[in-house]
Amino acid sequence: MRQGGNKNKAFSLKTRLTRLKRDSNRWSVFTLAIVLFLALPIVFIGVELFSGPGETWGHIVEYLLPDYIWNSLYLVFFCSILVLVLGVSSAWFVSRFDFLFRKQMEWLLILPLAIPSYIVGYAYAGIFDYGGSMDLIFRQLNLDFVRIDIMNRAGLAFVLSISLFPYVYVSARAFFLNQANNLLEASKMLGVGEAKTFFKLMLPLARPAIVAGLVLVLMEVLNDYGAAKYYGVNTFTTGIFRSWFSLEEPQTAVYLSALLILIIFALILFEKWQVRKVKFTSAKSNSTQIQRKEPKGAIKWGIFSVVLLPILLGFILPVAQLIYWAILTASTVFDFRFIVLSFQSFGIAITSAIITVFFALLLIYFSKWSALRFIKNVARVGVLGYAIPGAVIAIGIMIPTLALDKWLIKMLGNFGIDSGLIINGTLIALFYAYAVRFLAVAYNPIDSTALKVDNSIPDSSKVLGVGNLKTFFKIEFPLIKTGVFSAVILVFIDVMKELPLTLILKPYHVDTLAVKAFEYASDEMVMEASIPSLFIIFTAMIPVIFLNKLLIKR
Amino acid sequence: MKNLILAVAAFFILSACKNESEKKDNAAVDEMAKDQVVNVYTHRHYEPDQNIFKMFEEKTGIKVKVINASADELIQKMQMEGKQSPADVLITVDAGRLSRAKDQGLLQSIDSELLEKSIPAHLQDVDNQWFGLTKRARIIAYAKDRVTPEELSTYEDLVDKKWRGKILVRSSSNIYNQSLMASIIANDGEEAAKNWAEGIVANMARSPKGSDRDQVKAVVAGEGDLAIVNSYYIGKMLNSPDAEEVKTAQQIGLFFPNQEGRGTHINVSGAGVAKYAPNKENAIRFIEFLISEEAQQIFTDANYEYPIIDSVEPVKDIKDWGAFKEDTLELNKLGANNKKAVLIFDEAGWK
Repeated sequence: MRQGGNKNKAFSLKTRLTRLKRDSNRWSVFTLAIVLFLALPIVFIGVELFSGPGETWGHIVEYLLPDYIWNSLYLVFFCSILVLVLGVSSAWFVSRFDFLFRKQMEWLLILPLAIPSYIVGYAYAGIFDYGGSMDLIFRQLNLDFVRIDIMNRAGLAFVLSISLFPYVYVSARAFFLNQANNLLEASKMLGVGEAKTFFKLMLPLARPAIVAGLVLVLMEVLNDYGAAKYYGVNTFTTGIFRSWFSLEEPQTAVYLSALLILIIFALILFEKWQVRKVKFTSAKSNSTQIQRKEPKGAIKWGIFSVVLLPILLGFILPVAQLIYWAILTASTVFDFRFIVLSFQSFGIAITSAIITVFFALLLIYFSKWSALRFIKNVARVGVLGYAIPGAVIAIGIMIPTLALDKWLIKMLGNFGIDSGLIINGTLIALFYAYAVRFLAVAYNPIDSTALKVDNSIPDSSKVLGVGNLKTFFKIEFPLIKTGVFSAVILVFIDVMKELPLTLILKPYHVDTLAVKAFEYASDEMVMEASIPSLFIIFTAMIPVIFLNKLLIKR
Repeated sequence: MKNLILAVAAFFILSACKNESEKKDNAAVDEMAKDQVVNVYTHRHYEPDQNIFKMFEEKTGIKVKVINASADELIQKMQMEGKQSPADVLITVDAGRLSRAKDQGLLQSIDSELLEKSIPAHLQDVDNQWFGLTKRARIIAYAKDRVTPEELSTYEDLVDKKWRGKILVRSSSNIYNQSLMASIIANDGEEAAKNWAEGIVANMARSPKGSDRDQVKAVVAGEGDLAIVNSYYIGKMLNSPDAEEVKTAQQIGLFFPNQEGRGTHINVSGAGVAKYAPNKENAIRFIEFLISEEAQQIFTDANYEYPIIDSVEPVKDIKDWGAFKEDTLELNKLGANNKKAVLIFDEAGWK
C-alpha cells in the first residue's frame, strides 16, 4: 500500500518533469529572466533574513510589535472601506450618468493622487490646527472654534484614503468604460432596475478590477512613512525605520520588512482566491460607448454631490490650504528654478513610467505565452516591490548594482581605463529602482484589463499563423489600451512624488520637485514646502488630462 | 494620437540619454580637475546653506556638489559605497549620528589648527574626526499665563506630579529627544533615565505627535502647559511668514533648564571628512569655511542657530533670550547612548 503510494508519487514527479520540459518555451525563460531582474533587490533583502534578526528583536516583539500589527490592521480595514465607497461610487457615476461638469470631474478625480500623502497630512493639520485656516475663518465669522484633532489613527486613515482612492477609481472606471455597455444593454432588455443592475451585475463583475486597485491602495497605506510619523501612529513602516536607524539594526528592519511582505502576499493571495470563480471575458470592447443617462432633479444633485465630495476632500481643500501657504511664503521661496525643476521631474517621471509599463507588459504577455501555468504566479513576485518601503528597496538596489559596478571598474581597469561608479549615482540606477518599486502600479491595471480579453481572439489569430508579437500589436494592444494608459498615468504620478529612492539614488545635481518639497517639510518648514508641492500637482495635471482624453476617446 | 505619444516618449528618452551622456562628460571633467570639487553629503536641508556653498564656490573656485538625505540614509549609503564612495564631507544635524559614523569607520582624523582652536573642545571630536558647526539647545516653552519661570528648574523636575497631564513633547523617534535622553543617561545613569522617561510619559498631555512647532501651538491652544522644544524652531516661528504663528510664538515663555547644575542640553550640527574622501584637502577647506565668521553669521541670521565661534553674535531674537550655561558633556556620548535611549523610550511607552 505504502509502496504503491511512493510509486505513484515518483511517477507523478517524473510526469511533472517531462511536462515541464515539454511545456517550457522561450517565453517561460524570458519571463523568469525579467522576474529575476526585477525581483533581484527583493531577493537580496530576502537573503538577509537568513542572517537572523538583530539582538533587539525580542525587545521589539515585546514592546512594539503588537502596536504595529494593530495599527496596520486598523488602517487596512478602515482605508479599505473608505476607499471602496469613494472610488467605486465616483467611478460608476461618471461612467453611467451625465451631469454638470462630468468631464472635468472625471480627471479631477485622479488628481488627489498627485499630492504626496504626507503633504495632504500636513495640509489637514494646517486646516484644523490652532491658528489654522478653520480657526481664522471661524474668528472672522465671530464663531467659537472647536478644534478638531485630526492627528490620530482615525485621521490618518482618512488622510490616506482620500489621497489614495483614485487607484480604485481609475481601475474601476477602466472596467466600466470598457465593458459596461454590453452588460447594460442586456440588463435593460431584461427590464432590471438601475440599482439592481449595479449591485447584482456590475459590481460582482468589476470585482477583479476594483480589488486590483484596492491592493495598490493597501500596499501604499502599509508603506506610508511621512504621514504616519507626523500623526504619531506607529506602523510597520515607522517600525522599520526605527529599528534600522534608531536601534542601528538593519537586520531587524529587514525582518520587519519581511513580515510586511508576508501580509501583502496574503492580500494578493486573497485577491486571487476571491476572483477564482469570476471568469469573465469579452470579445467586444471599446466598440460601443456607454450610453450615459441624464438624471433629473434631486437625483441629479445627489449624484453631483457624491462625485464632488472626494474631489473636495482629496483635492480642493488641501490644494486651497497649499495655495494659502504658497501666498504667504512666495516672496522667500518662489524661484524660477522650479520651472526648470518641473521639466526635469516631468522628463524623469514620464521616462520611468514608460519603462515600467513596458516591463509590466513583457511580464504579463510572456507569462501568458508561456505554456507553463506556474509561471504566471512567478511573475507576480515581481510586483512585491511596491510593498517595501523605498528606503529598503534602495539598499536592495545598491547591493547588486554596486557589485556590478565594482566588476565593471575592474574590467575597465584591465584595459587601462580608470572609471568611477558607472551605474550607481546615475539615472540608470534610478530608472531601475523605479521599475522595481512601481511595477505593481503598472502591472495591476493592465493585468485586470488583459484578463478581460477572451483568449479566443488571439488564439484564432495564432491558428492562422500570425506570430505572438504581431497578434499582440494588431489585436491585443488595442483591447487593453485603456489599462495601459491608466498604468502610465499612475506610474507617472507615483514617480513625480516618490521620495526615499530618489533621495538615496539620484545623481548629483538632479533634483526633483518631490525632493525640494521634502527638504522644506523635513525641517518643519511645512508652509515653505507648499510651492514645490503645488508644482508637483500642476506638472502631474498635464499628462492626467491628456491621457484621460485618450482613455475616453473612442 | 498614438504617434503623438510615441513622439513624446521618444523625446524624453532621447533627452534622458542626452542627460546621461552630459553627465558622463561631467564625470570626465571631474576626473581631470579633481581638486576643483568637493562632494558633500548633508542632512541640512536649509536654503541658507545653499548661499554659504555658493560663497565658498566663488571664493575658492571649488565646486560644491550636494547630496541631500537624512543622515541615517547617508551613513548607510557611504557604508555600501565603501572605498568607491564619492563623499568628501558628511554633515549632520546632531552629534549622535556623527559619532555613529565615526564608530563605523566612515570618517577620518584631520589636521586643522583653525578648526581645533576656534571650536570649543566639548563641541568637537577628541580624535578630530568631526567638528561642530552650529549649536541648538533643547529648552522648555511654557504658557506665560499659567506657568511662572520660578516653578521650573531642571529636566529631571519635569516628572514632578504637579505637571500631570501638562507636558507636550514629540515622538521618541525624533533625534533631538533621543539625544536629550542619551545625555540624561550619561549624566544620571540608566536607572534614573528610565524612571525619568516613565515620569514624563505619566505627565504627558497627549500621545506624542507632530513637530516641535506643533507642541508650541498646543501649549498656546491650552492642551498643556509646557513643551520640550528645540531653540531654533522658536526663532523660526518668531520670524514665520504666517502672522498666526508669530503671534503663537510670542505668547510663550522660554526656560533654559539645569542652569544651577550641569547646564542646558545642547546639540550640534556638525561635519566630518569621509574616510575615503577623494578630495580631502578641499573637504578640510570647506569645513574651515563653514566656521568662518561670514558663514556663521548666515547660520544664525537665517536659520536661528547659535554660532559655534564666540566672535559671531547670535541673531537678535536669540540674543534676547540671554546667555545660558550649557552642558559640556562630551558629545560622542550622545552617539554611544543613543540605542540605549531608544530602548528605554520603548520600555517606558514613550511613542
